[in-house]
Amino acid sequence: MQITDSIDVAEAVKAFIRLPAEAVDDSKFNALALQLFAVQFERNIVYGNLCKSRHALPGIVEHWTEIPTVPTTTFKDFELSTLNTENRMTHFQSSGTTNQKACRHYHDSTSLSVYETSLAAGFTVHLTPETAPSVRFISLTPAPDSAPHSSLVHMIATVSRNQNERVFFGQLGADGNWTIDLTSFRSALAGSMGYSVCILGTAFLFVHLIDALTKLPLQHPLSVGSCVMETGGYKGKTRELSKADFHELISRHLGIRPNHIVTEYGMTELSSQAYDRVTGREQCYFKFPHWARARVLSPETGLEVANGEPGIITIVDLANIASVLALQTEDLGIRHADRFELIGRSQLAEPRGCSLMSP
Amino acid sequence: MFFDVAMTLPNYFLADLPPEAILTPQLISDACQSIRKNRERFISELQQERIVRCLAQAAKNWLDHDHPIRRLALEPGRTQFSPETLATGLDHYFSRVTEESLFNLLTQEFGHENRLDSPVSTPEENVHRRSAMVTGPFLIAHITAGNIPCPTFSSMIHGLLVRSAQFVKCASGNSFLPRLLAHSIYEIEPKLGACIEVAEWAGGSEQLEGQLFHEADFVTATGADVTLKNIRSRLPSGKGFLGFGHRVSFGYITKDFLSRAQARLAAKQAAIDVIAWDQSGCLSPHAFYIEEGAAMTPEMFAAMLAEELAQLESQQPRGNLTVAESAIVTAARGFFEVRAANSGGTKIWASEESTAWTVVFDDDTVFQHSCLSRFILVKPAKDLESALRAAEMVRGKVSTVAIAASVVAVTPLAQQLARWGVTRVCPIGQMQNPPLAWRHDGRPVLADYVTWTDVEQ
Repeated sequence: MQITDSIDVAEAVKAFIRLPAEAVDDSKFNALALQLFAVQFERNIVYGNLCKSRHALPGIVEHWTEIPTVPTTTFKDFELSTLNTENRMTHFQSSGTTNQKACRHYHDSTSLSVYETSLAAGFTVHLTPETAPSVRFISLTPAPDSAPHSSLVHMIATVSRNQNERVFFGQLGADGNWTIDLTSFRSALAGSMGYSVCILGTAFLFVHLIDALTKLPLQHPLSVGSCVMETGGYKGKTRELSKADFHELISRHLGIRPNHIVTEYGMTELSSQAYDRVTGREQCYFKFPHWARARVLSPETGLEVANGEPGIITIVDLANIASVLALQTEDLGIRHADRFELIGRSQLAEPRGCSLMSP
Repeated sequence: MFFDVAMTLPNYFLADLPPEAILTPQLISDACQSIRKNRERFISELQQERIVRCLAQAAKNWLDHDHPIRRLALEPGRTQFSPETLATGLDHYFSRVTEESLFNLLTQEFGHENRLDSPVSTPEENVHRRSAMVTGPFLIAHITAGNIPCPTFSSMIHGLLVRSAQFVKCASGNSFLPRLLAHSIYEIEPKLGACIEVAEWAGGSEQLEGQLFHEADFVTATGADVTLKNIRSRLPSGKGFLGFGHRVSFGYITKDFLSRAQARLAAKQAAIDVIAWDQSGCLSPHAFYIEEGAAMTPEMFAAMLAEELAQLESQQPRGNLTVAESAIVTAARGFFEVRAANSGGTKIWASEESTAWTVVFDDDTVFQHSCLSRFILVKPAKDLESALRAAEMVRGKVSTVAIAASVVAVTPLAQQLARWGVTRVCPIGQMQNPPLAWRHDGRPVLADYVTWTDVEQ
């Protein structure tokens, strides 16, 4: 099928997402990636120009690994979108760390529906595999009306769409930071006795929650099967804490089994998320679902590193239909076959000079 | 020969201990007591000439290709620099350390080269039948930054000139070259070497640093502004402190120097500034401003600079970067690549299959920090005034501005730069090669350390 308009693109990607993972091989992934690349080359002006400067054109590029990647940092300075200004229904943005411009990812209703299909499919597999109807979502983030441009909040709102009880227990502080409405959170947990709950939030919010629960522990343990999804520990906001120690604290204070704590890896510039385990199962390294693929590349040579070696994480995400499917992140990772382990972020904390002090 | 066949150094300093040795406040305290005692016993009686001769001899040894100290320093993998880059840096640095330059430095700072030996007079003081001498602190603690060794070498030389015992605290993994300098001094004059201690630990250790600050009379520190602030806040009262914070540098090339023949020369010199110490010190340029209106446009100059960098890379390869460092260069390249593809005002030249060097021409004149590691920005400027306006965001934080200009033009440009707040103006090609008597960040070299004793007759 030759894709020509955005509805076709969206339908093709959604159909691909719905395929069973076992039914997807490299050639199927490749075929759709190249079609999407051709569309984005035409419609995303900024991206098209970059591809031309690299002489990487549709027809010449034969494999998804050759599709030019765009550094996620350029979302701050350029409008990397296939959508005309008038067709941009909404956008998600992340300000990253302080003193930085925001990255903006624009959507129309079509691309938003692909985002929702993608996030829900990935989320369901990892967080609610038995689709227990009684699972209750409790988010530590603010609700969409307080955080309309957070892609994470949109994700949580999407997966909890059918829940009648309150989902969001975060609020926007005067300084713009997110805090937790602890009183309501506690009563929501008390009111969820007998249900499995899924508590969702950023690592930063969980640290706050742990601090609060240290002072005043929960009265009742959570039901068996309850789980946690935490994300975003690498944004430089949480205090220094190893992931294992962090999960141990979550486990101890919430009474959730450690193997029910799932870490999500996602970002505003993407429409798919990687997870490090299916809740209740063994932890593994991060992996994206079958419609997105990560590779760890050597920053020196641009080639994929060997197993066990560190490099820059790059991602081809077929669900990114209205922006750019191929992204070079700022994250450093170690390659473990088709999975990756996050080891840090490669951004300048401050301009270097004599300030470059080794630890 | 002071070290054995396997080129291992004797254990004189804490930094010579095997990596598994754990430093304790007690060890720091003992080391401080012992160098303090040695200072009392040895240096106070030494004549200035002997100290100067020792330092000049040490410099000669570092320059001697057959000397074990140099051979050891240049062993591959010992530092983050390639042996060729390191050799060039060491040659530049130590060729500046001579008996003459050391005596001249003393005269520059104190008006007389023998101020530390006894009360002496300048002709002006003599008119009023006055004389004076200076005394350095008993014990100086240097908290040094990790990037390049020269500032640490200089701190150690300055400390010996004012006859202080010195504790040199290096950042993790960066004590090798300072340690070698201490050994080379020890080899020539064990009495001087016995007044130096070199140790390394990760900065911020409150226990170790607290003990060191307690023992020291004077503390110097090089590093990020926030690090300096933190150190200052932890100093007990009554301690002298000298902090060298974050600085940036850039170059300015006037149109007088942009004829075809001269531009090539200027590009060669600019490339030398970029590659020196892998562009990792605060004297290294972040950008070159190129004056418009000459036959050679700023963009053409950038292309020329790229050619020169490519050539120099084969002679003085850049050192290996960590994955995180190299990822920063890749990200910066990626950013400018997108910009170049979407605007005629940006162009990028880069080494292939490596991050070894990058030149970005950008017609946005606003000063931008480079990610360094041999990544240089080239920007147009109407004149120096407009370049300084474009660099307003770093005003007060600029160390060196290199200029390429005709002899008559240099003075007015230097005046303009001085009034704007620049503390060092040098010819292009010399940015990382300041003279021994260079006033770091506009401060006196030795005068901040000493106490004067005036004698009236």
